[in-house]
Amino acid sequence: MASTTSPTVASAAAVPQRRVEARRLTLGRALIWLAVIIVTLIALFPFIYALTTSFKTQRASYDGTLIPWLQYEPTLANWQAEFGSGGQETMRALTNSATIAIGATIVATALGTLAGWGLGRFKYGIGNRNLVSWFLSQRFLPPIATVIPFVLLFKQLGLIDNVLGLIIANATFTLPFAVLIMRDFFADFPSDLQDAALVDGASQFGVFWRVALPIATPALVAAIIICFAFSWNEFLFASVLALRNAKPYPLMVAGSDTVRGIVFGFVSTRMLIAITLPVVLSLLVQRYIVRGLALGAVKG
Amino acid sequence: MVKRRLLSLFLVLALSASVFAVTNRASAQDQTFFGKTALDLFPDNAFPTSSPEVIKAERDAAWKALLAANIPDGHALGNGKTITVATLGQGATGGISGTIYFWRPAFEAATGAKLEIAEIPFGQLQTTIPTDFLTGQHTYDVIVSGSWFYGDYVTNGWIQPIDKFIGDKRFPQWDPKDTIDSIHQLYVWGGKQYGTQMDSDAQLLYYRRDILSDPKWQAQYKKDTGEDLPNPPKTWQQLLKVTSYFNGKDYNGNGKPGDGISLHLKVGGQGMFHFMSLSAPFSIIPDPGPNPKKVTKTHNIYWFDPDTFEPLINQPGQVAALEFLQKLAATGQKAQFGWELGEAWQNFFDGNAIATFSWGDVGSLSQNPDKSKIKGKLGAAPIPCSETWYDPDKKQMVTDPAHPNCVGNTVGGTWHPTLSAFSKEPELSYFFMAMIANPKINFFDATTGWQGIDPCCNYDLFPPAGNAKIEDYTAVGFNADDFKIYIPAYADNLSKMPIYETYLRIPGTPAYWTALDTRLSEAMTGQKSAKQALDDTAADWKKITADAGGPDKLLKVYQDSIGYSK
Amino acid sequence: MKSRAKYFFLMPGVIWVLVFTLFPLLYSLYLSLTNARLGRETEFIGFQNYINLFSDQKAGEVALFSAWLTIGSVTLTMVFGTFIAWLFNHDIPGLKALRAILTMPLFAAPIAVGYMGVVIFNEQHGPINNIIASLGGTPVSWITAPWPARFAVLITDTWQWTPFVFIVALAAMQGIPDELFEAARLDTSSAWSTFRHITYPLIAPALGTVALLRLVETFKILDVPLTLTGGGPGQASQTYSFYAYLQGLRSPFQQGYASAMAYLVVILCIIISSIYFWRVRARFE
Repeated sequence: MASTTSPTVASAAAVPQRRVEARRLTLGRALIWLAVIIVTLIALFPFIYALTTSFKTQRASYDGTLIPWLQYEPTLANWQAEFGSGGQETMRALTNSATIAIGATIVATALGTLAGWGLGRFKYGIGNRNLVSWFLSQRFLPPIATVIPFVLLFKQLGLIDNVLGLIIANATFTLPFAVLIMRDFFADFPSDLQDAALVDGASQFGVFWRVALPIATPALVAAIIICFAFSWNEFLFASVLALRNAKPYPLMVAGSDTVRGIVFGFVSTRMLIAITLPVVLSLLVQRYIVRGLALGAVKG
Repeated sequence: MVKRRLLSLFLVLALSASVFAVTNRASAQDQTFFGKTALDLFPDNAFPTSSPEVIKAERDAAWKALLAANIPDGHALGNGKTITVATLGQGATGGISGTIYFWRPAFEAATGAKLEIAEIPFGQLQTTIPTDFLTGQHTYDVIVSGSWFYGDYVTNGWIQPIDKFIGDKRFPQWDPKDTIDSIHQLYVWGGKQYGTQMDSDAQLLYYRRDILSDPKWQAQYKKDTGEDLPNPPKTWQQLLKVTSYFNGKDYNGNGKPGDGISLHLKVGGQGMFHFMSLSAPFSIIPDPGPNPKKVTKTHNIYWFDPDTFEPLINQPGQVAALEFLQKLAATGQKAQFGWELGEAWQNFFDGNAIATFSWGDVGSLSQNPDKSKIKGKLGAAPIPCSETWYDPDKKQMVTDPAHPNCVGNTVGGTWHPTLSAFSKEPELSYFFMAMIANPKINFFDATTGWQGIDPCCNYDLFPPAGNAKIEDYTAVGFNADDFKIYIPAYADNLSKMPIYETYLRIPGTPAYWTALDTRLSEAMTGQKSAKQALDDTAADWKKITADAGGPDKLLKVYQDSIGYSK
Repeated sequence: MKSRAKYFFLMPGVIWVLVFTLFPLLYSLYLSLTNARLGRETEFIGFQNYINLFSDQKAGEVALFSAWLTIGSVTLTMVFGTFIAWLFNHDIPGLKALRAILTMPLFAAPIAVGYMGVVIFNEQHGPINNIIASLGGTPVSWITAPWPARFAVLITDTWQWTPFVFIVALAAMQGIPDELFEAARLDTSSAWSTFRHITYPLIAPALGTVALLRLVETFKILDVPLTLTGGGPGQASQTYSFYAYLQGLRSPFQQGYASAMAYLVVILCIIISSIYFWRVRARFE
């Protein structure tokens, strides 16, 4: 930044300028922090409320109180019931959900990332745009139309009430997400990196596996999170394809709606149980969404 | 001489040995049921409470009931086998499914078999079970579901009759004739018995006995309105006057105004049953001939015209009833429109309402000091009659306060087990069904409250209706005054009404009721007038009928289910 | 070699989709041209279902509500999601820890969220009305009045899916080189300007994809209205897919009609996505 004024004047003028900038920056950062806190509270609020409600009796759950001991008498009854005589069913449902979600996510992200790389870096005769929209179109059809056909198909394959069946179904449903997210990312991938690696003697797959994938971790994690969330929460197909052995957790949540009305204590405990594993998982992968990790490599 | 002594010694020894053996077997049976103790079969977590005293009392009562039920040895039928029971799923200690979970260990002990429980949420019942049958899965041996499904289950051949098993000594014993007639009809179809006794549902009136019998309030009421305070109200119109009067008054003496009525009206919350029970005396009239219960084109008829299958839900009687319900709801909280059943009950148990009308569960639940403040204050009466009703012969509304029209009901689920026609273990399955139906076990279930099972049979009711005693109820901690009113009212409600509303059991019943429920909600939340809502309901019903194949397909089934013949 | 390698990447995904969706898609298309009901004989009736659909008043009402819900939800989630991603794109301590919390709503099954919503939106005692009352407003009849019920569904859906946009937007923002931000900071100190000229253009493609995905998803919303309001009061908050569900999986199990309803959504989505791909065709070729 060239300056034509004398150094002393310039530096004298620069000091208050920097201090003003610093103050503006701090104010800006403070505001951002405040906004972040508010947003986090909004995101968190239903879970906090669920936590509170899970310790209430059915009677107390009709009131809108928040603080235990101060506003209501907490009880462990809901949690005990969940892991007590119904505990066997709870664990089985959670295991099923985990198996289904992990299995479906692995399949969907593997196939989706491969296809995304292909669609992002190469040209296909049919037209990349057509292929992408074909993948996307798999999400168009409301599930209600394919529930019964899937039941018939899986009956032929012997996959009714089988965790494998639900893995296949969920992988199919979430594959488009993986394809689209990864394709978008790979489309922006710098060609020089790709060419450099090829020149160095890497195979096409080597370029993908050793150069592109590590850099694509933010997008990959995004795809994994989304595929996992969808599979973990899926209800409609599970309610029809899983009768006894393969029941995943959302079906247990639905069981909190009784003829006498919703048992809020059970909904709360079940919702909290339902989010535990995914949240733990997402905490583990958080560090892979790191800013600028790749760009050092690009600059070389 | 020595020989005689030896002989007498031998006799004494033999006698002692046999006495010893007999008493030991008796005491062995007192302590174990097929090798299991009470603690094995009913562990702490089988009960929905954490209070040790309550658990001990219930466990003792359950144990007594189990031993008295004389369950035979079922190992020949069940050793090493597995059956699957599909049930309305409300958790291991929830209503209906709680019963299945509770008695599972005893069943497994008596038969050596394994019982798998498949819980199906209430909202999924009409999807999961038909899909299972229609796609040929046949996963379930026993289906514990609501009586409204009989139309679908029987006409599709999904369940089989169980007459042949009743009385067979290999199975636990129970007698269908113990069940009150109006309820028993829901367990049979075409003269054959399909269900084993479990729940029984009907709606009756509950009110605050302490308030309505308080001379202070009676005098005040007479002073303010010029009429006597009905105790209990016998007609809907009387009830409306009472709830209007008390709505907003501080009748609990705690500084807070109370409600008149406590209702629940949320969509999907079974509000339509309350409309069914309320509108019955407005729209159903007995046959004037020698048999008042005879079903004709215009008498004892509610749902559809028995000749043309034209919906009758928008007849003037039902419209008047809906308009009345709107007025009645106005004597309670505005929030009622979003309440589910549990919330409406809780409001009454909190002492906040003068009256409510609902199922038998209110009786036993009101006795739980954890949940209810009105133990000792409960009043119960048969469902109110109506001073005005529609006469289809005269084609106009008739009003006669001196001779109100009384119609009973059996609305509700009356949840019970039926046997799949495709079960590979029908006898083993029936063993379980009969075990739950055994009078001792069924009576115990009805006294718990949390199992959601209501009194059904003569062993629940006092003479002359049955042979139970008040001590049976006080023994489990129920208030004597409350139950001396509740049980006879419950019995009268089920057997003493001149006529009863027919229960709809045609294929697709849930679809018709869901349409009614939706439209009712529109009327109650003010989106439509009562007449418009019911006209729309009738239009919905015509469409459902058309989609199901037309009136001809359903007419015969409907006629059979209501006992109509030309 | 290059031309053959490219098929290696694409084909596994394509084959998977073909194997598992070809039959269901074709079969349900066939069903939509019949009067199929579970358990009864099926007759081919051509386009009768579609014709009936256009004269079905209820279908029109639920379609209108679904359209309102879609536009509202997509707009709100895009705006909030992008904004929150921008917030988190700063180098401020502690943000990383909170990021995981922001993704939590995605993992709560919509079924459970709907039920929790019944508590939270409870008209007498729910926290939302408590907050409104403490701020001096009148409590809203969330479940028992038509428009508040619709808004309750919209709010719940937005709460649940904003993290979806957030994740993708943040990943896209994180891919922007630091140098660009440095340069921007030197030229201007306005955050809005930076966003508008640097950030937004670079993440626009990802945002476009996410918007399209969200659009397609909201037509299918079923879980939340099913559990939060039951479609009520009356049928004020029934979505199009809810109605299709009632037709197809509840008595009388009208598979034919439900399939026809579903295929109309497909046609609509094809139209929308065609417009999208046509407009941004440059990015793909």
